[in-house]
Amino acid sequence: MESRRHSLLFAQLLGSIQRCPGFEALAGLVVLFAVFSFTATRFLTLESLAGIVTVASELGIVACGVTLLMISGEFDLSVGSVFGFSAMVFASLSNVGVPLVIGFVLALLVAFFIGWTNGLITVKFHIPSFITTLGTMMLWRGVLLAWTGGFGVRFWGKSLFLDVLNGQFFGGFRASALWFVVLVAICNFALTRTPYGNSVYATGGSREAARLLGIPVDRVKVVNFIIVAVLSGLAGCVQFARFASVDPLRGQGMELEAIAATVVGGTLMSGGHGSLVGTLFGVLLIGMVRSGLVMSGAPAYWYQAFVGVILIIAVIINTKLREWAK
Amino acid sequence: MRKVTLFLMVALVLLTVCFSGLALGKTYRFYVISHGGPGDPFWGVVMKGMEDAAAFVNKGNPDGDVIEATYLGPAKYSIEELVNMLNSAIATKPDGMAVTITDPASVEGPLRKAIEQGIPVIAINVPDPRPEGERIPYLFYIGGDEYLSGKKAAERILATGKPKRAIVTIHEIGHIGLELRAKGFIEVMTANGVPAEKLATYLDPTQAIEILKSYFAKNPDTDAIFTLGSIDSSYVLAFLREQGLIGKVKHAAFDVCDEVVAAIKEGATLFTISQQQYLQGYLPIIYLYLYNKYRFLPANDILTGPGFVDASNVQLVEELVKKKFW
Repeated sequence: MESRRHSLLFAQLLGSIQRCPGFEALAGLVVLFAVFSFTATRFLTLESLAGIVTVASELGIVACGVTLLMISGEFDLSVGSVFGFSAMVFASLSNVGVPLVIGFVLALLVAFFIGWTNGLITVKFHIPSFITTLGTMMLWRGVLLAWTGGFGVRFWGKSLFLDVLNGQFFGGFRASALWFVVLVAICNFALTRTPYGNSVYATGGSREAARLLGIPVDRVKVVNFIIVAVLSGLAGCVQFARFASVDPLRGQGMELEAIAATVVGGTLMSGGHGSLVGTLFGVLLIGMVRSGLVMSGAPAYWYQAFVGVILIIAVIINTKLREWAK
Repeated sequence: MRKVTLFLMVALVLLTVCFSGLALGKTYRFYVISHGGPGDPFWGVVMKGMEDAAAFVNKGNPDGDVIEATYLGPAKYSIEELVNMLNSAIATKPDGMAVTITDPASVEGPLRKAIEQGIPVIAINVPDPRPEGERIPYLFYIGGDEYLSGKKAAERILATGKPKRAIVTIHEIGHIGLELRAKGFIEVMTANGVPAEKLATYLDPTQAIEILKSYFAKNPDTDAIFTLGSIDSSYVLAFLREQGLIGKVKHAAFDVCDEVVAAIKEGATLFTISQQQYLQGYLPIIYLYLYNKYRFLPANDILTGPGFVDASNVQLVEELVKKKFW
């Protein structure tokens, strides 16, 4: 009797942990932080933390969109290409004398268009988004390479607008961190406090049930494809604002890092479950691994292997927590 | 009537002279086949070298010889496609081929077959690393020496004063050419008592800079950086500027691009190494022509790199970069 009560309490505890968004990623973050604090010299400095946040921010802006889309049951592999393509549009327009603000808006419009086509192709032709966006990932990267002939573009001018997008504002912290925090807050609000958020969860949970409830599942998905593309474009422009240069390979491989951060943050690849808070911890964790390893003196070649191990452990913990909570 | 007869006779004589002139000359068909597509700026320069060489021989050739040179290369790095292109070229029984031996195992079969058929083959850009008796029996190699380039870079830095600690940034881990450059550099530095190691920076600039910051936080005595390509040169220059390290840290680069040329002029970069890849397109055409015609062969491989661009020749090279010679 007593042991049954204990196991019931344990299940309830696990259930409440499970409901606490991003718990697994936060736990991982704390553990790694503690480890690196001991092993890495100068890890516990403001500059080092600012570095971690800076890396996490650009990836995080993309991952916000990836999280929304993944909760609604779809993928986007083209985010890295959109990241590079939008940045190149912004850079090229700036170089021919188009005002930076207008160039920026046009770059985001291009991203909007790419997201919209991704969404339409996926829902109208009933193609798995993995395939649609695999195709558009290659398409836009190819167009980018053909357009630039492989050459990077550099903008030599200076502007306040570029500082607003990604200037340094406090210690080593950059404006990209502010953009990221604001976007996490907005997306989190939309996901947890608005009817649209409910539609996103319902669409990813059970498409047919959501449809029967009157939720326009196709529209929800298309909107999420647009959101993820525009956020990827924004991240690309934010990065361009710092370096004032873009090469045609910019953003390559970002899609997998964004998905990894989202999954580490507890979002289910099958859709219907996930949180922005989890993704926030997920990108911080991934940002921390690289700096921590270098500062610990580990060869940076180990980075990818380490992220791979973290990803697998995070998914195992997620799955086990869910099983126990049942 | 007499006038008409005279006119016809003159025309006949002229035509005979013209045709006999053409009949004296021969058309030579050469292929340059590489693993890099024409969209890549590096290979764009090689292609220009090939075209210029053909035009040089064709223009006013005393024997009326004509060279038809064709460049073949997959749009995206693909050994499979390189082999397909190679087979197609061999099937047309050309008078000569210049081929990159990027993956000796894959190109060995087709190339040995071509050589047995009497097609002259020159290796360019990447040689077969095996010893003379075992390697593919091509005529000779025209290209850079990656290992030697790394060694020379270290020697040049050492000639300006012994650094306390040196790093080589590597943006494409596992790229054999980059690894060889790094190996040569580290060996010479270590032999001279300078601690030196590789630092994997990957392709994303934000991450690259944070990795560099982390490394410098751990090893603040680092005062020499060797960057292996234009992409990481760009990131390292941004890092040095942001951290106020220009002039305090010696920077040596690889490959010639606008940004590095500007940095050499500014004094931020000591020098950059070039493979002078224009010659990797130009020289094979000239040598294949001379081999076909007179059986001339150089006694040794021809090294087109390392060539150096520094403060002494940067002005001239800047002009030539715009004209696609570098």
